[in-house]
Formats: sequence, C-alpha cells, structure tokens
Amino acid sequence: MITVWHYLVVAAVLFGIGLVGFLTRRNMITMFLCAEMMLQGVAINFAAFARYHGNLHGQVFVLFIVAVAACEAGIALALFLMLYRRAKTLDVSSWQELREVGVPPTVDTESLPPVPAEPADPQLSPAGRKPAPTAEETVRV
Amino acid sequence: MLTPSNIDALQTALGSDLLLFLPELVVAGGVVFLLLCRLVKALDRSHLGGVAVAVLGVALLVAVVGVREAAGSAAVSTPYFAGMLISDPFSAFVRTLLLAAALLTVLLTLLTGIPDRDDSGDFYALLLGGTLGMMLMTAANHLMLVFIAVEMASLPSYALAGFLKGRRQGSEAALKYVVFGAGASGVMLYGISLLAGTFGTGYLPNLASAVAARMGAAGGFDPLLLTGLTLVFVGLGFKLAAVPFHFWCPDVFEGAAAEVAGFLSVASKAAAVALTARLLLTLQAAGSTMGASPASPWLLPGTVGLGVGIAGAVTVTFGNLAAFGQTNLKRLLAYSTIAHAGYMLLGVAVLTPAAASAVLYYLVAYLLMNLGAFAVVALVRNATGAEDLAAYRGLVWRSPVLAVTMALFLFSLLGFPPLAGFAGKFQVFAAVYDAGKGASGAGRPDLGTAFYALFAVGAVNTAISAYYYLRVVRAMILDAPGSTVSSPKSGAVDPVPVSPDLGPANSGPATPYAASVYLTVLAALLVAAGVVWNPITAATDRAAAAFVPAVRVPGPNAGGAAQR
Repeated sequence: MITVWHYLVVAAVLFGIGLVGFLTRRNMITMFLCAEMMLQGVAINFAAFARYHGNLHGQVFVLFIVAVAACEAGIALALFLMLYRRAKTLDVSSWQELREVGVPPTVDTESLPPVPAEPADPQLSPAGRKPAPTAEETVRV
Repeated sequence: MLTPSNIDALQTALGSDLLLFLPELVVAGGVVFLLLCRLVKALDRSHLGGVAVAVLGVALLVAVVGVREAAGSAAVSTPYFAGMLISDPFSAFVRTLLLAAALLTVLLTLLTGIPDRDDSGDFYALLLGGTLGMMLMTAANHLMLVFIAVEMASLPSYALAGFLKGRRQGSEAALKYVVFGAGASGVMLYGISLLAGTFGTGYLPNLASAVAARMGAAGGFDPLLLTGLTLVFVGLGFKLAAVPFHFWCPDVFEGAAAEVAGFLSVASKAAAVALTARLLLTLQAAGSTMGASPASPWLLPGTVGLGVGIAGAVTVTFGNLAAFGQTNLKRLLAYSTIAHAGYMLLGVAVLTPAAASAVLYYLVAYLLMNLGAFAVVALVRNATGAEDLAAYRGLVWRSPVLAVTMALFLFSLLGFPPLAGFAGKFQVFAAVYDAGKGASGAGRPDLGTAFYALFAVGAVNTAISAYYYLRVVRAMILDAPGSTVSSPKSGAVDPVPVSPDLGPANSGPATPYAASVYLTVLAALLVAAGVVWNPITAATDRAAAAFVPAVRVPGPNAGGAAQR
C-alpha cells in the first residue's frame, strides 16, 4: 500500500539531491539544474498532499511552480550565456572579483581532471566517389 | 475552495476587487506600455524616465487616496480576489511606501543618467515590475501568492543587478544574486509545501489558526511546524539579507549600480520586512485569540519570535562588525543595510502591534536616509568615477551640498537624535523593552529577560556602528582632499584623479542643481520626520492595528498597544 509518506520521502530525497548538488557543483548550468530539481521535489510534495486532502490546491500550486521555474530559467540561462561569452567557461569560480578586502581568491589546490577531447566528426567526402576507409571509421562500424 | 457559488461571488465582487487593486493595475499597465514603447520609433529613441515617473506618480496618488478611503470606512481588512490578496491599512501603508521608494529611485536615475536612452525602456520596465512584485508581497494573503510575489520581486532584481552589461563586476553581481536566489526560493518553497500540505490550505488566516492550535497542543515545539516555518524564513531571510543568508548582499551591492543598490536595499527590504511581519503577526493574532490559558499569548513570541529575535541580534552584530574594515562605500552601506535589517527583525520578533508600528516608522526613515546615502554615492561616482573612501576626502570643500546631506544621512543611519533614524530606532527599542516588561509581568520572566537582552544588543550595536559612519564623515570634512583616488579594489571603471578645482566655483559637473535640490529635499524630510513624529506614527499605528486580535486578550499584549 503506497501512502502519502512514500511520496513525501521521494520528494524529500529529490529535494535533498538537488540541495546537495546545488551546494557542491561548480558548473553554472549544473547548479541551476540542481535548483530546478529542488523545485520538482516540492512539486511532488504538493501533488501528494493534494491527493491526500482530496482537493486541487496542491495541483494549482504545481502549475504555478512550473510557470515560475520557467521564468527563472529564462533569466538565469540568458545571464549564463552572457557570462560564458565573457569568460569562455561555465565554472563559477572564475567569477570572484567581488570579495572582501584582503581575502585572497580561491584557487584549486589540485587541478581539475582533464576534460576528454571529443572525437572529431567524420569527414564526409563529396558525393560521387567512394571514401577510403580510415582506421577510426572501421572501428565505429 | 472554488465551488460554483464561490465563483459567482468572485464575479459579483470583481468590480470592487479591481478597484482595490488599482495601484497595482496602474503599475502593471506601465510595464506593458514601457515594453510596447520599443515598437514605436519616436518613443524608442527617447528617454522613458518621464513615463516611469508619470506611472509611479499616478499609482502613488491612487494608493494615497485608497489609504484615505480605507481610513474612513468601517471595514478594516478586506480580503479580495477570493481571499488571495488582502487590503488592510498595513498593506496600504507599505504599498504607498514602496511606490514612493520606486518614484524616488526613478527620479535619482534621471539625475544621474545611469540607464542611457537606449536602455531606459528595459530598465524602467524591470524596475516597475519589481515594484509590482513587492506590492503583491505586502498584500499576499495566501502562501501561493507569497511565493509568486517573492519571485516576481526577485526576477527583475536579478536583471537590474547586472544591468551594467559592460562591467565585469555587474555581471558577477547578477550571477551571485541569481544563484543565491534560485537556491533560497527552492528552500522556501519546500517550507511552504510542508505548511500548506500539512493543513490542506494555504489561506493565511485559516493556516494561522490551524498552526496556532497545533502549536498550542504541542507546547510550542512541533518539529514539522518548526521545520516548515524555518524553511520559509530561509527564503525571507535571503530577501532581508539576514545572517546567515547575507552573503550575496555586499557583493551584489558593490557590483550593481548605486541607484539599483539603493532601490534593492530600500524597497526590497521594506517588502520583505512587511511580509515577515504579516506572517508572524497573523500567526500571533490567531494564537492569542484562541488560547484559553493565560500563557498562550506568549507561546509564539517564546518560540518563533525568539528565533527571529536571535537571528536579528546576530544579523545586527555581524553587519556592524563587518562594516568596520570596508573602504568601498557601497560595500560599507551594504553591511549597514544588513545591520538595519537586523534592527527591524528585532522589532518584528516581539510580535506586538506596537512593535510592528515602530518597524513601519523605521521603514519610512530608512527609505529617506538609505536612498539618500546611495544617491550621494551615485553622484560622487559620476563626478569622480570612484566609489571608495578616498574619493570622499575633503568632499565638503569640493561640494558642500553633497557632504552636508551625506553627513545628515549617515548621522540618521547611526541614530542621532534630531533625525528620523533616531526616532525609528527609539520606537523599535521602546517596543522591544515594553514587550520584555509585558512578558515579565505576565509570568514569563525568562522571555522577558530574553527581550531585554535583544534590547541591549540593539543598543550596544548602535554605539558600535558610530565608528564606521563617523569614519566617512571624518573623511568628508576633516581630511584634506586626496591628490588621486585610485585603488585596484575600487568599484570604479577607470579611476580618474580628482581635480581640486571641483570646488564651488565649478560645481556644475560635481553636483548639478537638480541633484542638490533632490538631496536637500530628502534631508529636509529626514529632519522633519525626526522632529515631528505624530503624522507618521498616527499612520503606522493605524496600519499596525490590522494585527490587533479581534477578541482583545486582557494582558500586557493589549496594554502595549494602548500605550501608544
């Protein structure tokens, strides 16, 4: 038998994952998605309570949460795009110019793991001639 | 509950409801108009500050007329739009205050010219949108409206903080504000879901009586309720910049333009204080009317109120101590803002209508003095390009009007007697002291001692804050003008040397005539409000009377209200 508590636990876990991710991640978009995940946890809460009480108040709440989250995403992603154009990175720690007088900037004590380079896209030859198979392509097939 | 009969009632009441909503409608219409101005070539090419002034002026006029009519009618508080919003003297007062703050900010931007002609439409649309959200915050009567209004006030603020797109620091300020805000709103919403979900309603009066009943049954410590309330106050604490959710405030204020920082510090704070006071005092009114035992009026002040009071005491102490070493004026004023949020929280924490009235008076004084201080910062930035303390050395010789009015604003922030800041602080502290006396007299000596301690913390902090306010005054009046002002940490785009010939003979670029008038009017209002309290205290008392419990409880709680 699934009671309201089961839903509440799922919602709390989702909210907790979002909160932890929000506090620990450094990529702007990941942070923001974690904040959105917190909102989705809340939405489950409201839907579960609406079912429990047998009224639609919670459902209406959820609709408004979705709308507000969309507005927040709009403004935050526009800002992140602007910041990315300027700093060429999504790492929030590159934005620490504003801080207390006399406090040194935070720098990484150990460097971040290297980002694996993405494989190059296969080059298509012009039509009409059979491409010579390269070593990479044989692997893919 | 939306039953057919309720929908019919909603339709029949729509006319009068829309009338109550008129100031908000005017502001909303202004936002739409400002956005549509982009489509008309002639309007797109002109500076739209005048439109914003007109919209806010009309809205302010409508709001003031509404206040007068509400004062004459018998109905003290009218829920409207099916109970989603409430129109009572409290919301009418704060609404007027917010519109005045927005109007003064727009006038300031016209004087300093910070949104240039191309950006003016967007800037004023955002400013008006934020004001609309704050007005809804003060009138919210349902937890859903609380959430929507907080978001409506926050989202335009994020954009305003980063409005100086060319400056790296402006973008950083916006980033920090958005990230903090997104997290805080998520946490607050979780608290709302716990509270509204547990009781099956978000309608504040019903919710308040249910919460009070449950709290009374549990003896004040119901873990679920306290969790929900705490999480809601995390969101409000973020808006208030209360410790420990204050981290965004100094950085955002330093990175944003001084005009925007002034608006955020005054209007956003007023709305958040009003919302906090409404939530807490509605709860308290519900708790003290239904309680049968004599201890029940002190149940909420002893749990939730004390928690808010401790947060306020920590906030005020931290803000004042952190302001000590600041050299950037906007950062210093940001910490001063945090400290003042703490003073207001101290007043809200004792949960008496008398204290709410004092906090409203404090908000009026705070509007004048803080906006004035930020206006001086903006004008000095326009003249020198610098915002750190070095730019203020010997300001009195270069521009006497700026220096004298700034000294008045700072003395008022400090709480010096003939100014409004003193009157506000005095009333808040007196209300906290009265509440302590009342609690001691009603058989809660522990709570009384706690309130006395809050009072002492506030008083000691006022003395501490003298150091950093007077440091600025000393730099302006006693120090010799510095030869250059340049510091790698200053918020200036390009620090330029201050030429000593910015003196009175050449005061055209330093302080334009209109700016002098603006500052003088603000300072004069500050002095007037500090000398003649009565008109404002009468209005704030009427506003706070919205929270006097309908069934008066015999006891010191009601006595405190009657004293005023």
